[in-house]
Amino acid sequence: MEKGLKRLFLLLVVLCIPAGFFIKHEHAIFLWHKIPSIETVFGFVGAFLLILGTRILASFAQKKEDFYD
Amino acid sequence: MIKAVPPALIFILGAMLIPLLKGKLKQVYLLLVPTVAFLDIIHLNPGTSWVYHFLGYDLIFCKVDRLSLVVAYIFVIIGFLAILYCLHVKEDGQHVAAFLYMGSSLGVVFAGDYFSLFVFWEIMAVSSVFLVWYQKEKSALDAGFRYLIMHIIGGCCLLAGIIIYAVNTGSIALTHMGTNLADTLILIGFGLNTAFIPIHTWLPDAYPEGTVTGSVFMSVYTTKTGVYVLARCFSGMPFVAYMGGIMTVYGVLFALLQNDARRLLSYHIVSQVGYMVAGIGVGTELGVNGGIAHVFNHILYKALLFMCMGSVIYMTGKRKLIDLGGLAKYMPVTCMACIIASLSIAGAPGFNGYVSKGMVITSAAEKGMPILELMMVLAAVGTFLSFVKLCYFTFFAPNEEMRAKEAPLNMQLAMLLTASLCVFIGVYPKVLFHVLPYTTVHYHPYTPSHIMGTIQLFMLAGLAFLLAKDMIAPHRATVLDFDYFYRMGGRGLVWVCIVPLSNFRSKSQVFSSRTVDLIVRLTKNPIMLLEIPAAYAYLRITQGLRYVSGYSSSETYNENLYRRPIGVGVLIAIILFFAYVLIHFIF
Repeated sequence: MEKGLKRLFLLLVVLCIPAGFFIKHEHAIFLWHKIPSIETVFGFVGAFLLILGTRILASFAQKKEDFYD
Repeated sequence: MIKAVPPALIFILGAMLIPLLKGKLKQVYLLLVPTVAFLDIIHLNPGTSWVYHFLGYDLIFCKVDRLSLVVAYIFVIIGFLAILYCLHVKEDGQHVAAFLYMGSSLGVVFAGDYFSLFVFWEIMAVSSVFLVWYQKEKSALDAGFRYLIMHIIGGCCLLAGIIIYAVNTGSIALTHMGTNLADTLILIGFGLNTAFIPIHTWLPDAYPEGTVTGSVFMSVYTTKTGVYVLARCFSGMPFVAYMGGIMTVYGVLFALLQNDARRLLSYHIVSQVGYMVAGIGVGTELGVNGGIAHVFNHILYKALLFMCMGSVIYMTGKRKLIDLGGLAKYMPVTCMACIIASLSIAGAPGFNGYVSKGMVITSAAEKGMPILELMMVLAAVGTFLSFVKLCYFTFFAPNEEMRAKEAPLNMQLAMLLTASLCVFIGVYPKVLFHVLPYTTVHYHPYTPSHIMGTIQLFMLAGLAFLLAKDMIAPHRATVLDFDYFYRMGGRGLVWVCIVPLSNFRSKSQVFSSRTVDLIVRLTKNPIMLLEIPAAYAYLRITQGLRYVSGYSSSETYNENLYRRPIGVGVLIAIILFFAYVLIHFIF
């Protein structure tokens, strides 16, 4: 069940990338608005950057639970 | 016809009666008050009323326009739902604090001048802290005090700004502000309530420590009144816009590291309020409408999230994600409500967050602020990740030991009603657009590119979650924020008070008492300042000689021997009086 759901999700991920090429941005203002499926890049790279950011933050700001006690 | 009263009055006076009622009657009364307030708001006429002349200024308790009305509507709607959620609470004090908190927030919303705004602002801070203290744990007590200290500092800044503004302009009217000293101080005061970085630390510190029901109220009012006053006084300011952008990313980054469910939600308040602040900072009609629409929507889904996590804590006694998991089968209603709220906050199509978040991001792009737009897109990715994490580790992560029952009926009902409103506004946003401040804005949220873009964003962020789930899994840890510096500063201040200042005090006390003692002796006979010490010296010498020679005598100093006739004192008094009269008439 869980494996099936995972496969379905991965299939949808793969399908959503080319789907963006058929849709045009209605109000393109900046350069990236004109690139088809740019949101997939934003989604993946953004998530990667945030996870990297949390790891960097954790390296100096994460302390023991009773730090203030 | 009955004249509409300021809605604040209904809640504040309504709070007084709560301790007098019991049982079902009290429950009906608790729900009746917000209903009456809602009817009252519907009957408020645009313009100013309830104006009182005080010390040469006009105090306006009821300034009604589209901006105040939209915020008031949602304040009262969520007030009703939050009261329904906490109907089972037996402590009258919690209800009274919540009513005063709601009333004072409405007081801020309808205030037309800075003085009345300040009064309601402070009632808001004081009443809300009791919703933390009623948790009755040491951590809650400490967090409450830190919350209060921060708000007192913010209140002092606000008051200083108001006084300077009143002195400079001769007016206390609540108008659009600029960038001079008074305006900056007022902005700091407003910014503290709006959780500007780095003066946001009171929020993730106090909100997770509140009572299960109290945190629902707290998630709604303080920050949103801050956004409201920013919209009224500081819209269109680039600093405000970029501060909003920073808040969106900062909140998300810290939220991803949290283990305490309600602390994660609290950091997301910082992030989501960032969207509102950004929209208001952009300042265009779309930006302000987007910011206020986000206030409306955020109040619904964030209150719902606090309700869901409150139910989980209430039923399991656990608040850390690491201790939770597997609750989907035991608490299906809470789970469903939490998923709806998560989709709403993430901005999934069909849910209310999608509508308003899109408005704010589009306004930043249309204003030509690419960095701001990208910051908000990045925060949207982080929000999705955070709520996948929250839902997964609370409801779906394997936990064989977990056993729980569904929350009480009133809590379930409140969650279901709030969740339906999230979906209703998402599906039919026109109802929200109809009440927003600017009527000339035409925004279409459901365009193909916007829907597809959002789906792609979430799909790929979801893929990243699958790949890096362990990296954002909860850990038993404390994440230091700017509060570390404040706490260290506070400890430093306490040390300065205890060690150097206390030593200085004790030494100056000894010095002062000796000086006073000397002066008292001398003032017994000021005319003979020199004669008395000479006499003392003489006595000492003679007594010493007598002691050496073995002669003892009872002769001691007698001050009456040295007194001058009373006439001398009268003469001096007359001279001084004459000098005083002379100076008075000459000058």
